[in-house]
Formats: sequence, C-alpha cells, structure tokens
Amino acid sequence: MKLGTRLRRIWRIARWEVSLGSLGLDRRTVAAGVLLVALAGAIATAGVVGGLDGLSPSQDIYRVGISADSPYYDVVESHAALAPYPPAVDRLERGEIDLLVESRGIGGATIAAGGSGTVGLGGGGPSVSVAHTPTEKGAAALTAFRAAVQRYNDRTMALEPNETAAYPVSVQLQYRSQESLVPGAVDANRSAGGTDAGDDEPGSTDGSDGEESNGSGNGESDDADEGDGDPSTVDVTDGTDRERVDRAAGDDSILGDVFGGGGTEGSPAEISPPFPFSSLVLAFVFLVPMNFVIQAYGGTILNERINRRGELLLVAPIERLDIVAGKTLPYLVAAIVAITGISLGVGGGLVSVAAVLPIALAFLSSTFVGAMFARSFKELTFVTVTVSVFLTSYVFVPAIFTNVTPIALISPLTLVVMELQGEAVGLGAYFFSTSSFYLGSAILFLLGVGVYREEDMFTQKPVPLKFLDAVDARLRGRKSVAVAAALTIPFVFVAELLAIAVLFVMPIELSVPLILVVIAAIEEVAKSIHIYAGIERDRFDRSIRTALVLGGLSGLGFFVGEKFTAIAQLVGLPDLVLGQATLTPAGVTPASTLALLFAPLVLHTATAAISALGARRNWRWYLAAMAVATAVHAAYNVGVVSLYG
Amino acid sequence: MIRVSGLRKTYGDFAAVVDSSFSVEAGEIFGIVGPNGAGKTTTLKMLSGLIEPTAGTAEVAGFDAADPAMRHRLGFLPEESPLYEDMTPRSYLTFFADLYDVPRSTADERIAETLDRLELEYRDRRIGDMSKGMKRKVAIARSLINDPDVLIYDEPASGLDPLTTNSVLEFTRELRADDKTVLFSAHNLYHVESVCDRVIIMNEGRIIARGSVEEIREAYGETTYHVFTDVDLPESEPADGDRHRMEVDTMDAVEDLQDAAAAAGGRVVDIRTDEPSLEELFLDLTGRQMAGPRTAAATDPEASAGDSPSTPDDTEAATEGPR
Repeated sequence: MKLGTRLRRIWRIARWEVSLGSLGLDRRTVAAGVLLVALAGAIATAGVVGGLDGLSPSQDIYRVGISADSPYYDVVESHAALAPYPPAVDRLERGEIDLLVESRGIGGATIAAGGSGTVGLGGGGPSVSVAHTPTEKGAAALTAFRAAVQRYNDRTMALEPNETAAYPVSVQLQYRSQESLVPGAVDANRSAGGTDAGDDEPGSTDGSDGEESNGSGNGESDDADEGDGDPSTVDVTDGTDRERVDRAAGDDSILGDVFGGGGTEGSPAEISPPFPFSSLVLAFVFLVPMNFVIQAYGGTILNERINRRGELLLVAPIERLDIVAGKTLPYLVAAIVAITGISLGVGGGLVSVAAVLPIALAFLSSTFVGAMFARSFKELTFVTVTVSVFLTSYVFVPAIFTNVTPIALISPLTLVVMELQGEAVGLGAYFFSTSSFYLGSAILFLLGVGVYREEDMFTQKPVPLKFLDAVDARLRGRKSVAVAAALTIPFVFVAELLAIAVLFVMPIELSVPLILVVIAAIEEVAKSIHIYAGIERDRFDRSIRTALVLGGLSGLGFFVGEKFTAIAQLVGLPDLVLGQATLTPAGVTPASTLALLFAPLVLHTATAAISALGARRNWRWYLAAMAVATAVHAAYNVGVVSLYG
Repeated sequence: MIRVSGLRKTYGDFAAVVDSSFSVEAGEIFGIVGPNGAGKTTTLKMLSGLIEPTAGTAEVAGFDAADPAMRHRLGFLPEESPLYEDMTPRSYLTFFADLYDVPRSTADERIAETLDRLELEYRDRRIGDMSKGMKRKVAIARSLINDPDVLIYDEPASGLDPLTTNSVLEFTRELRADDKTVLFSAHNLYHVESVCDRVIIMNEGRIIARGSVEEIREAYGETTYHVFTDVDLPESEPADGDRHRMEVDTMDAVEDLQDAAAAAGGRVVDIRTDEPSLEELFLDLTGRQMAGPRTAAATDPEASAGDSPSTPDDTEAATEGPR
C-alpha cells in the first residue's frame, strides 16, 4: 500500500479518535479537566520559579513583641516564622506574644547582640534583651529568633560591597563529578576555562579560581540583589557558568526541608554537594501531563477490546499498525504540546522537548502494551499506575544525581536538568540517554501491534499469558529467535543501568558481586523468554535438538545485540568502577581481546541452551534451568572481573 | 465468488475447523448451520481475513482472504457488533466510508439510500440511545457502505424481535436482487431455510452435509407418508370420520397398503406427506439438540411425534433459549 494512502488513513483514524472522545468524556468535561491541570501546573511552576518563598508551614507562627524602631525589627519581619507585634510585658505574661525583644532585659534569655557571640547584627549593634514565655513554644520562638538573626547577618554580609571586609577568609568551592564526564559535558567543562590543569582534587582551592571568583563576585551580589537579599539561589562558580548551583530555599521552603537542601555555606561539615533542586522540580513538571495522557490513551485502547468493539476496524482495509498509529497520534501530539508548553513555561528549550519526547513515547508504548494485555479497566488502572511509577522513578531518581555522577545520564530527564542549569548537552549524551527509550518504545509498540488482532484482542487471559502470546506473535521461524534476542537489548540495557543506579550507592565490595549476579539474571531472562513462549505456544517442537538450536540462535542474536553496549563506552560510563565491572572489564590486553570477544558468544549460547532445555518441559523446569544458567553466567562474570578487574 | 479449500484452524490440540471446503457462486445466498462450537464463526472470520487459517486456502472475490485488498470487496457483519455509542449513525457510517475510500458525496448518497431501505429514521441520534434493532440496522448499513460484492453475515438477526428479524431477513433477500453474494450463518434454522439457496451443516468443525435445503432433505431426511383408508387394516388407527390412518416411510410401503386396502374391499382415500424441516434434519445429523430448555421442548419426542413440522414461531422460540 502506498505511503500516502497509509498516512491518509492514519490521519483519518487520528481525527476520528479526537472527535470520538473514546472514553465517553464530553468536550466540556475534557476542557474543564485541561483547564484544571493547566491551572495546577501554572501554580506549581510559579511556586517553583519563585523559589517557593511564600510557602512555609510555620508562617507567622511565633509572635514577637518588638518596637518598629528596633534594629531587630527587620530581622523579625523578614523571617517567615516570626510576626512582629507591639511590645508589652503584660502581653507576654498573658501569652499574647511568645517573645519580647527590648533594649533592657526583663528576665528570661538575654542575647548579647553585636558582641563576641554567634548572634547579632554585626558592626557593634545595640544590645537587646529577649524574654520568652515559659513554654516550649516560647523556647522554640527564641531558637527561631536566633536563627533569624544569624540569617539576617549572613544576608547583610552578602550585600557588603567590600567582600574582604565581610569575609576575611574566602574558600571557593568547585564541584566536579566523581569521574570523567560524558563527552558533551567534558567539552563544556574544558571550554569553560581549562580548570582541569593542576586541580585533581575535587573541592580543592585554587588561587587563580579564587581570583576569578572575586572577579565575578559582583555578579553574585547582583543575583542576591535581584532576590531582595534572600540568598535562595547562590552561584558557586569557577569563573564560568558551568557550575551553577540552585540551592533550596533554606528553612523557609517546604521542599527544601524535605530534600535537605544542599547547603553551600556554613562550616565544611554543613556543606553538601550541589543539589539541583529547582531544576529538578521543574523537570518533574514535564512528567505530570504524561499521567493524564496515558490514562486517556490506555482507556481508548482497552475500549476497542471491550465487547469486540474494535473488530470492525480490523476488517476494514487498513493495516493494524496504521490503526494503532492513528489511535496513538492524538495522544502523542497532546504530550508534545504539553512538553513544549512546559518547556516554554520553565525556561527550557529544544533540548528539554527532545529529551522528554522519548519519555513520552515510553509512557505511551508501555501503556499500549499494558492496555493490550489488561482484561478490564481495573487491570488497566493497575497497569497505568505501574507504568507511571516505574517510569517516573526511572527517569526522576537518576536525575537527582545530575551534578554528582554520569550515571544520571541513564535518564533523559537529566538532560532537562542540565539544560535548566545552563549546561551544554552533547549529542553523545543525548544518544546515550534516549536511545534505549526510543528503541524500547518502538519494540513495545511492535509487541503490542503483534497482538492487535482478532485472535488476541478479544480473548481474556492473565497478563503473563498475554505477554507470552505477544512474544510468540513476533516469532516466525527459528531465525526469528535470534532477532528477538537481539531486540531485547534496549530493555536489558535499561534494566542493567537501573541496577547500576540502584546499587552504586552500596559499598563497592558488595555492589559489584551483587550486580554481576543481577545482570546475569537479566540477560538470561532476555535470552530465553521468547524461546519459552515459542515452545509453550507450539511454535517449536519440544525436542532436545530444537531446544539446543534455539538456545544457540538466541545466544548468537543476543551476542550481536550486546555489542550495542559499545554505546556506553562512547560516553564514558565504563570509567566508573561499576561500569568497568559490568560493561568493560579493565586490564584487557590486546592478546586477550579476541578471547574476550568470543568468550561471551560461547557463554550466551551455552546458557541460553540450558534455559531452552528447561523451557521444553514446563515452566517449573524453565525457571530451574534459568537459575542454573544465571549461576553459570554470574560465575563467568565474576571470573572475568577477577581476572581483569 | 467464494472458494474454500481444505480450510483448517487449530488452537493447540483443539481443531475449530477441520478441512472445510465449499464454494459460493455470485449472487447466491449461502447458509452455514451448526450448533455452538461447530466452527461457523471461525470459518466466517477466516474468510473475512480476521483469523489466519492454520491450513488451507480461502478466496473471496478473487483475492486471498488475507489480502487487505479483499476487504474493499467485502462487507462483514459480526455476530456482536458493538458500535461507538457516542457517534450518530451518520457520523459512524461516514467514518467507515472514509476508511474504505468512498468519496464523500457517494458516501452521503449511499448512507441515505441504505438507511431508507432499512427504514432507519433516526440518523442523527446518538447510537447509544438507540434500540438493539436500530443498532443492528446501523451495523448492516455499515457492511454495505463500500458497496461490496460479498457480504458475510454472522447471525444477522440474532437477538432481534420478530418484526425486526423479518425486516432484516427481507433485506437480506433483497441483496440477492442487487447481485450481492451473501454468506449467512444462523442459529435459527428457519432463517436459513427461508433465505438461503444452499447450506452447509457443520458439526465439531466439520461439514457434515451440504446442498440446497431440498437436496439435503432428500439425501438425509425421511419423508413420512400418512395413508388414509376407508377400511380398517391391521396396524391402522382410527382417524377422522370413518377413515383409518397408517404411517409408512417409503412409496413401496404405500403401494403395499393400496393393495391391502383393495384386498379388504376398500381403498386408499388420501395420502399426505410430512417432510422434515431443516432443523429436524440438522438435529438428526448432528445427533444433538440445540441448547436451551425451549429447544428441548420444541424437539421433545412427544412434540415431534405430531403431524406438523416446526413452525417459524416454534423455531424462533427455540433459539431464544440460553446459548
């Protein structure tokens, strides 16, 4: 069929899908829903962009009696938790205020402001006495007042034009990733001024940098000015914009409290690595509309399956793939529109849109497959929630470590965070982050289209059996087993990177052996599940010879596909210890290259054959055989790492 | 117009259709009869390209059934055809006309004409608000939207009231005049008998009888001759008036009775034939009853011992039982 005809039909289906409102929602309901979501998104975005300054769980919780002409009045007024009230001792006694700040003490705690203590307005300010009610709240109010004075002093110091006078000793922080960065980031780093030379220790001071920092000090002050003196955002720079760090809004921020901030001032013990809080929250906003889109999308797919409603489309002169494409197109467009809108709203650019697009595809493709497997709307709800939780976790959690480790690049959302932080994103990084999403989405759509047919759409089977049907539908002859094994690589890649991301925080002595076993198990499943499906669905006979042939072909296909993990080498992930252990064993000599090239081929064919031998019996034997195959595979992994690691 | 050869469909160890072969000529209305699980619907779906045969070939309008191009020449009406209930008949039919590349002006004319013929007045009412009969008419109209040469109707009158059923059957008969080839399956054997030129009877995936209803009746049915004499013969029983009645199965036996009556000083005064209905043939062939208590009642030995064959009303009632 001509491409133009197919595209025309896809467009017709898409147009019909939009006009139909397959979920039975009338246009006013949809419009109201969209409006509500947009409103919520706008409020959330405004809150994040504004630094959430206006939000505090302890807003005006402590009443402070203080005179308007007191030098501490501004301290109280600027602190969210403190509210100024007319000062009067009797009001304190009646409990109408929690603190009383006066120039003369009347009992209670006395703070020597401006002296050698830790609290004061600096510059030899006046002494005050502070009294609080003899309650726990009064004591807490006093603590809050101390903190407020401290912060007020810090802000005042930050505004001081003469930086040397304000900070006699200045330590310049320079945050750098644990290991070498991805090519794009490395390029960006190098183009930022060549700070690598002679500066191997993360966080070390560098006189020249310090000079550069001083040179840009006014810029920081300018930032502070723009923020009305509230240092909610602090730039810690090495003379470029490379290391822009968004800090949580301190005590006043709900989310800052939750995430722990990422302090860049105070004693060394109080300083933590940069946490891209604002950028991360803004990046998260991209994921919100996905959840609405997949609900509607999953519903319309399942709606076709309920009561055989979609049967008439199947008998129309239109390809299954075109039906699915037509039904998917409106939801993809909706996702793209939402992504673009959000990107414009949060100050992102083309990188953000391009980075979130594969995430949207992953949401849609996973939901499509889930909706093709689900037997009811109840099951579909479970599927969409699972998809949402898994994908949100997969893309969001690694992005938290954007400024810490290149592992964060397993998530395309990291690219969004990078762009929002003003970092350059190279093509290599984009390819690394998104390729598995693109490939995985394509494969999931093909898997779902395979069962988008009369024989599978309208039958009611448990999800695992539907999955086997879908896998089996993609098999033809024995050679297709090799192709199927190769096509699992994107999912294997995602699963393995996820395992690395989850396990890398553990001690290396524990995480390396653990991940070697986990990876072995992931690969053995990938190499054998389609064999089991084919045998279970009587596509292949159950003879030992067939099982061995299928195992060999699957191992070969997987071996070929596995070479795509060279992608990881392109972007430097193997530079990490875990990356070395899992992807490229260190110490490989040219002499052993050939052996290492073909040893995995032998391994994959042998272990896949073991699993296939179990699959020819029944599922219990299959699981047992796969466990054996995993053990063999893990032993191989440990051996290679021991030899060359 | 339809050629089926060695068609087979298996699901694991279960054979839904076994080596089915038949052909349907252009302009013919062809019926497939069989109990639940006989393989009727599976056969129709293989012919419409919905199900891939395990073996054998199916050709429709000169195309292989799996060829998407065939679908332009086919109108398919599944047994259950739930429609998109938020659409109106007009928008629903227009959408399918688009899918079949029918020009908009042609589609508008065709929709109007078909709905007129089907006497469906509410063309802009939400389908979800329509009766079952109206929905069925919309589904039938959809099957004609591409002006197909071949129509495959699976239980077109299933679950409809008698009035709508007659309307649908009459419409199906009219399709013959339009040179349409119709492959028609039904539980209600009266429908098949009243509409179809030829039929096949399927049981457990196999074709067990084929031909016109008359041919099947001749080949498989037993005609009962009710012979009335004016003399009392051995084994005769009293009938109306002074007449006596006997039942025999062959013309030779009738001639024997004529001789016997003459020998007794009398004569044969009347002979009536009782030919079996398709349903009786079907039950006899399949050796099973159609499901449902009403069916059981209709084929009760005592009831079937009566003189008259099943009436349309009897058959209608029989198929209303649980399936």
